[in-house]
Amino acid sequence: MRPSERGEDPAARFDGEDLDLASGLVFALDVCLSDLQVGEVLELSSSNPALAHELPAWCRGTGHELVDAEPDGPRTVYRIRRGERGALMFRDRPDWGVTPTFRHDGFDTRDWLVGKAGEIPDRADPATGFAPRGAVVESGSEPFPYTVTERDRVWAHNVASLYELATEGQWDASKDIRWRDLRPLPTHVERAVCQIMTHLAENEYAALYVPARFIPTIHPHFTEVVLFLSTQVVDEARHIEAFTKRALANGGGVQFSTALTQTSLRSLLEQEDFSQASFLLSVLGEGTFLEYLAFVERFAPDPVTADIVRRARIDEARHVAFGVEHARHYLGADPDRAQILHDAVERRAAFLADASGASPHVEEALVLLAAGGVSATRIREGTVAVRQLHDTMHRRRVRRLTQLGFPAGTAEAISELHTSNFM
Amino acid sequence: MTDRVLLGAVAYDAKVIPIWEGIIDHFRGALVEMDVVWFSNYPAQVRALLDGWIDVGWNTNLAYVRVHRATDGRARVLAMRDTDVGFRTLLVGRGELEGANDLRGRTLALGSADSAQAAIMPVHYLGREGLSPGSDVALLRFDTDVGKHGDTGRSEREAVAAVLRGEADAAAVGAASWDVFVRGGDVPPGRLRPFWTSPPYNHCNFTARPTLPAEVATAWSARLFEMEWANPQHRRILQLEGLREWIAPELDGYRDVFDAVIDQGMADAS
Repeated sequence: MRPSERGEDPAARFDGEDLDLASGLVFALDVCLSDLQVGEVLELSSSNPALAHELPAWCRGTGHELVDAEPDGPRTVYRIRRGERGALMFRDRPDWGVTPTFRHDGFDTRDWLVGKAGEIPDRADPATGFAPRGAVVESGSEPFPYTVTERDRVWAHNVASLYELATEGQWDASKDIRWRDLRPLPTHVERAVCQIMTHLAENEYAALYVPARFIPTIHPHFTEVVLFLSTQVVDEARHIEAFTKRALANGGGVQFSTALTQTSLRSLLEQEDFSQASFLLSVLGEGTFLEYLAFVERFAPDPVTADIVRRARIDEARHVAFGVEHARHYLGADPDRAQILHDAVERRAAFLADASGASPHVEEALVLLAAGGVSATRIREGTVAVRQLHDTMHRRRVRRLTQLGFPAGTAEAISELHTSNFM
Repeated sequence: MTDRVLLGAVAYDAKVIPIWEGIIDHFRGALVEMDVVWFSNYPAQVRALLDGWIDVGWNTNLAYVRVHRATDGRARVLAMRDTDVGFRTLLVGRGELEGANDLRGRTLALGSADSAQAAIMPVHYLGREGLSPGSDVALLRFDTDVGKHGDTGRSEREAVAAVLRGEADAAAVGAASWDVFVRGGDVPPGRLRPFWTSPPYNHCNFTARPTLPAEVATAWSARLFEMEWANPQHRRILQLEGLREWIAPELDGYRDVFDAVIDQGMADAS
């Protein structure tokens, strides 16, 4: 009987020549059968007599059915039906043939939302583990311990653009900064710079640790957020490096850290909710930092310091943009959440009640930096500049908050409650 | 009614522990729950079952035959794996052998003397083919892990290695073991070739002590049969234990095993 006369037509045929299972036929059969639907038949033609002995156990072990075997001249034709109880259990088939659109300068992350990979879930399944978005996941894995599984609680509409900006904007704190251009400064000015660099570095540790701590809690199907936060972590690492290097580079050294700063930053690290932490750190803290860095750039006594804080501010602006857009998304999904954010600010303020007032070391350093000297006239000017800085920080915070939809009074109240440590 | 079945299993490998832990979990909250006692070898487990110290033994075919004989057939089989039916032994050579009769005057490597697939059944079936193992065919035995009834697969690997080294012309290997070796990349490509498949026979089963109340046995089996491949938690355990479903006993397949074990004088439980 010819194979074609044996009932149903095979869905596929494979010429195994004289391959036996150990010589690689196992892989060929696996490839051929995985292309079939459950119940379809593969016709395997082989001249190797060992298969008569090997195939039954292989089929049983892999969950397929050896339908029959018929001699065909010097060969044997085996018919194998794809089993419904294969070793792996997939409910769906992966995408094939998706085509993203490239931009003139490359494959932008904003354009990768194609096929299943482009389906950002409102609620993500923790049992997909680390499988990339779009992958067909074998059922039956234990759920991963993600706590952020709802899109509302992490998303920002512009996160892919911000990620693109972040990857483009990376710089090298060792080589891109012209460290050799540093010249000796008056002692009190250099000391002020070193104190500010110490304070900046200390704050940037918090800005590194807080997102880093949340990354493992976020479901990987919110990929863009995870990738963006990773750039934030790397940005902060670079800032810590650059600020610390500046404190060390010009004959000064790393200076004081106050209890106020410590307490303020610990209260950020202890936040349990991503949206609240993001609001406190990125909207209020890093938002305030933009003015801080601009101030240091404006009064920097040397081009190296100015360059470092200018670069850092560009990076920080991305973090603020993400924080603001996430807050907008979070509040957009449920306007009542404004109260949750307000409460988070109040709780933190209450926690910091014993640590109120600005850090004297930092205030003094900022005045000296702005003054550029210790004469009475210069100190007066420096003091005015620092007062203006605090005013500007407050106004900008209020503006950001009202843009997010907080009523003017609430925005004022929230901004007033923000830590005098800046972050 | 006993609310807990005490089951004996031989811990021939560390991987066995999580399998049974998973099965114990499956029984948690059931009408009849279960617990497991580990044995280091089947003779000890068979004695414990005959003494009524355990309720059920997860037995190899050899252990089952011994329990059956010692209880005059009153021990009851509760369930088996789908893969315990239609078990087969392969003979594997280097390519010059084409059938069992080509073994005449040659050397056959066998696994442990108490392994049905690697020693007892191939000797039995070769006898049916008119060969007298030991005289027509020289036997090279690898009696490793005796007491574990071939579960570890070590003696089968040693028999295969003997063929590769040229110390034997063929090796007797369980078809499922051969498939594991092949799929695991343990067989050098193109050097060995199965040339004979034995008739089918049965492998393991759950054997209950004769005094286990029928309603306990029934409730326990019913719970076992609820494990299904489509359930991810169950599938993990079923995969590890090498089955796709638990089935009701199909005892016909033990007929050849009884004959072989009795012929070879191995039927006593002591």
